[in-house]
Amino acid sequence: MTIEHHPPEELLARFAAGRLDQAEHIVMSAHVSMCVRCRRFVAAFERLGGAALEAAEPAALAAGAFDAVMARIGGGEAASPAPAVPRPRRADDAGLPKVLDLYDIGRVRRIAPGLSMRPIMIPGAGKSRAFLLRSEPGTRMLEHTHTETELTCVLEGSFSHEGGHFGPGDFDLGDDTIDHRPIVGADMPCVCLVAMSGKLRINGLLGRLIEPFIRL
Amino acid sequence: MSVLLQRQISGHARRSGSIAKRWPRVKERPEIAVDWAGLIGQIALRRDREAYRRLFEFFAPRIKGYLMRTGSSEAEAEEIAQEAMIALWRKADRFDPATSGAVAWIFTIARNLRIDAVRRGRRAERMLQVVEAEYLPEPVESTESAFSRSQEAGHVEFALQRLPAQQSEVIRLSYLEERPHSEIAELLGIPLGTVKSRVRLAMSRLRELLDVLK
Repeated sequence: MTIEHHPPEELLARFAAGRLDQAEHIVMSAHVSMCVRCRRFVAAFERLGGAALEAAEPAALAAGAFDAVMARIGGGEAASPAPAVPRPRRADDAGLPKVLDLYDIGRVRRIAPGLSMRPIMIPGAGKSRAFLLRSEPGTRMLEHTHTETELTCVLEGSFSHEGGHFGPGDFDLGDDTIDHRPIVGADMPCVCLVAMSGKLRINGLLGRLIEPFIRL
Repeated sequence: MSVLLQRQISGHARRSGSIAKRWPRVKERPEIAVDWAGLIGQIALRRDREAYRRLFEFFAPRIKGYLMRTGSSEAEAEEIAQEAMIALWRKADRFDPATSGAVAWIFTIARNLRIDAVRRGRRAERMLQVVEAEYLPEPVESTESAFSRSQEAGHVEFALQRLPAQQSEVIRLSYLEERPHSEIAELLGIPLGTVKSRVRLAMSRLRELLDVLK
């Protein structure tokens, strides 16, 4: 499996700094977990993050913080930290990136023939939402534009558009400058993890007619 | 610009003398007098409280300061700094000096805890132990041997040592300290346009350096 499409450095940088919005963070995390090349870039950023930490202006901790921490370490807390309760995996979760274990995933919702989605439940209000998008082999999506940005990481299967062919692990960034009409690979369904902010704009008369019914 | 900010900037410049001199190459940084990795090793090995105190005294206030500089409230920064120090104690045996620098490792602990604090929102049960799953390679361990992991770390080190100091400095100021370009321009005494182009150049240079090694 060769990953050919990577996120822009800017996004990797903000991911490494831990400053992306949750939905975007999830998609970046999925890509980085599959991509050695980007993992290396993130690791370099973490080194620079260490440098930033060393150089940071110290802010005094609350009085007694050290003792409080020692008490928590020395107390029962150290021996048995609360066991993590990962989300129970369902049969159709096989192959989903690990980061999704930290979230609940909603029920499958049909969007259009050959196209369905499952929302990732993200606590709090972020600017973007995340979902798993599944399309049947050969599905041709309507030509569309995004009002803001759309981050996509392919988990299974593939799709193509003017920007190239996207297989497992590949990352695609859509924004308002890109009009595209992806076609899903013919051999198997395509499952993508998507973070979307803003709205989908579907081009053409048909698109404008059905747009109100497509809720992503 | 507020007086406070100005004071911060001049304070920063004063502290660091020439910033360029202070951050020549990551490797040649003069202040690495303390062997942080060694202290972490002492905690792993024999729960050494004195080693822990030294780490705590240096890092806890810096974690708090760093988080406050990059968007956390004081209360949140305090809490995460304490949690990070607790995590450092508990996970000390998982720190591998061959694959990560001690300071970078502490940075990732604090960063992951902040991400998790946002995520937790109302669901405290899924915290702490899973934060390191943030982006573990999948499948974990089976394809990546300890050897290849330390080789990876070597590649990262190689690239950072070759990244010109001016470039790693703007990356740090811009993305990790989240200073606006205008502030960086003032701090470094260079035009705004130069900051922008230097950031761009630094990012692509870092990519290139990392890509040289397969």
